[in-house]
Amino acid sequence: MVVLTAGGKQLSKAKRGAAGVVSHYSSEQAGSKLMAMGVLPGSEVVVVRKAPFGGGWYVKVDNFYLALREEEAASIVLQ
Amino acid sequence: MMNDGPRQMTRPFTVALLGNPNCGKSSVFNQLTGLRQKVGNFPGVTVDKKLGKTTLPDETEVRIVDFPGTYSLYPTSLDERIVVQSLSNPSDENYPDAAVYIADVTRLEKHLLLLTQLRDLGIPVILALNMADVADKEGVQADPFALSRELEVPVVKLSGRTGFGMETLKRELQLLREGLDAGKRPPLFYKPGATEQPVAEAVQQIVPGTGYYQALVIAHHHSWLPFLSEAQRKSIGEAVERHHFTSLRSQVDETMQRYDKFTPMVKQAIRSARKEGPPATEKLDALLTHPFAGPLIFLALMLAVFQAIYSWAAYPMDLIEVFFSFAGSLVQDNLPAGWFSALLTDGVLAGLGGILVFIPQIAILFFLISLLEEVGYMARAAYMFDRLMQFFGLNGRSIVALISGGACAIPAIMSTRTIGNWRERLITILVTPLISCSARIPVYTVLIGFVVPPKTVAGFFNIQGLAFMGLYLLGIAAALLSALVFKWILKTRESSYLMLELPEYRPPVMRNVLLTVWEKVRSFIWEAGRIIMAISIVLWVLASYGPPAGMAEARQQARQQAQEQQLDEVATENLIAARSIEASFAGHIGKFIEPAIRPLGFDWKIGIALVTSFAAREVFVGTMATIYSIGSADDEYSVRDRMAQERDPLTGRPVYSLAVSLSLLIFYVFAMQCMSTLAVVRRETKSWKWPLVQFAFMSGLAYLGSLLTYQLLA
Repeated sequence: MVVLTAGGKQLSKAKRGAAGVVSHYSSEQAGSKLMAMGVLPGSEVVVVRKAPFGGGWYVKVDNFYLALREEEAASIVLQ
Repeated sequence: MMNDGPRQMTRPFTVALLGNPNCGKSSVFNQLTGLRQKVGNFPGVTVDKKLGKTTLPDETEVRIVDFPGTYSLYPTSLDERIVVQSLSNPSDENYPDAAVYIADVTRLEKHLLLLTQLRDLGIPVILALNMADVADKEGVQADPFALSRELEVPVVKLSGRTGFGMETLKRELQLLREGLDAGKRPPLFYKPGATEQPVAEAVQQIVPGTGYYQALVIAHHHSWLPFLSEAQRKSIGEAVERHHFTSLRSQVDETMQRYDKFTPMVKQAIRSARKEGPPATEKLDALLTHPFAGPLIFLALMLAVFQAIYSWAAYPMDLIEVFFSFAGSLVQDNLPAGWFSALLTDGVLAGLGGILVFIPQIAILFFLISLLEEVGYMARAAYMFDRLMQFFGLNGRSIVALISGGACAIPAIMSTRTIGNWRERLITILVTPLISCSARIPVYTVLIGFVVPPKTVAGFFNIQGLAFMGLYLLGIAAALLSALVFKWILKTRESSYLMLELPEYRPPVMRNVLLTVWEKVRSFIWEAGRIIMAISIVLWVLASYGPPAGMAEARQQARQQAQEQQLDEVATENLIAARSIEASFAGHIGKFIEPAIRPLGFDWKIGIALVTSFAAREVFVGTMATIYSIGSADDEYSVRDRMAQERDPLTGRPVYSLAVSLSLLIFYVFAMQCMSTLAVVRRETKSWKWPLVQFAFMSGLAYLGSLLTYQLLA
């Protein structure tokens, strides 16, 4: 597992297989929804796969899986 | 004696089932209620409300309301709004006396947010740790006593899958119910900050009788909560402004505080010895959501689903048809001929047969779709196609509706409620009826026979089958292109989300699948069936009666002609029937619209079928049978034979030429010919505007498509 070292990186910039820890959110609205679903500051995120048609992100957050759009992934800022 | 609360006087003790999506809530609901359940609507909207009954150990019956899956009291979809609306208003008809909160014990640290919110609302709640069986297998150990002590709510372990723990849950419910009047409420889990406090207090003044946290929830959602009066809404708005209360910031603070508080509690109470290495779900998804293989597998699956529908449904459908023609002849043989026996056979029985004949297809489709849903596959389809759907102004979740539309647009439209964004949901609703539904099958079957010879190409493909597929593809293309047009026209600033949890693959619980099928079939018979039935009777009246003088004259002429041609009894009857329908009200309507449909190549007889098809497409074949007077034989092939003989009275050429048949086919692909669908769209969009828009654009598309086809070919 590759751990990202560069701080303040958006999840949408991470490559497939990359892992990181959520620091904060760049949008309060998306952040509020993500938190309700269990994506919290301190959660570990792994980019499992990207969807066909240049689409969504398949990520693992701690112990569950989540499908995100690119802009939703962009709202997650990693430590 | 029971210690009944004051609400007991007016209604049964009501228990809400709540929990996050994918927590296994519906399995628990099915375990508790079995077949003692029905579906209703939440007031004002058509979000399905599943209601059921269960019996506690002391023989009291309690009402169970299954709420839609929700993550928190900060809703992003219609489904979730219902939960907030019902739980923040104690005079709401669905406000529960108690709640059972279902949480997936293997993910407990993610599943407790809503529980702590419910607790703060003052709703007595039991925490049910679901998936106890999976937890055992995965080596997850939970200590319910520790959790109960920390969270200050009763906790039970159970499994919706195996039924384990249901008796314990019922016992706890009984204890909760008996102790309700003790009125001991734990202190608030969440401590509101300096900006929240004055707002909550202000709302408590404006809306009398509200609890502290409840007041805060009302402050967050005052702009849309339907139970507030306009004056209250305005005062709350002012209070919010005066105290510089920003809902979003406050939401984030609240959520963080709650997680910070319960996460250590969960860590203490749960011991997990998870195995290393990627779980089965990840391995499966490596293939099933693979960028290239994934969509192909999806298409193959859908092909298999439709193959199954056609091949499996054929036998029961034949049986139903045989049964109804038998019942029809039984009535005709045993009742004196007259209007009553005619109404019974041609109105009631034909209508009933027309409804019931679709049940095998609907049942098979929902069996397979809910199987895919139940194992967790549908969320993957939404994930894979979200980008493509977005291009057309839809949402990944729309794929479920578009697929279900292949059986029937009505349940498909109802499945769009999980789409949070109004525009995406509306576009999905508007274009779904363009997907060829099962009601078009009989029409396609009859007409393709005129257009395409039954030949086989490449030793394998039946051309008629290919033509069938072509019509389906045409419908899909029309749906997507119209969606694109609506995307340009409709504007919204509302944000759109995918953010979809991909649940772990689990073997399906057959009980859940079968209950879904049962529920869908029942609501089809009841909801759509009533309308189809009523319309068949109206149709029968229109086709059997007309201006009396005209009808009598038509019958007279027919009899004369029959005598001249020395027709036998059956042929005479048929001729009279054909002439009567021409003179009937339906015939007059057909002739009235003939000038409008002449450019499409249709005559007044097709006109009648078009008019009656606006009730429901499948009526086409039956109407043709009546018009061409082949008695009540509801057999597609005899109708087709008769139509093939039909000649144009002026030119003597077949009426159903290639041009006319194709034009008619195109018309049926595009036209909005289903009153039940329009009624459902009206319910779902809460206005007549959208069903009218839908009716206009689909009819326009059908007219233009047919016009173009006929004029180019004729």
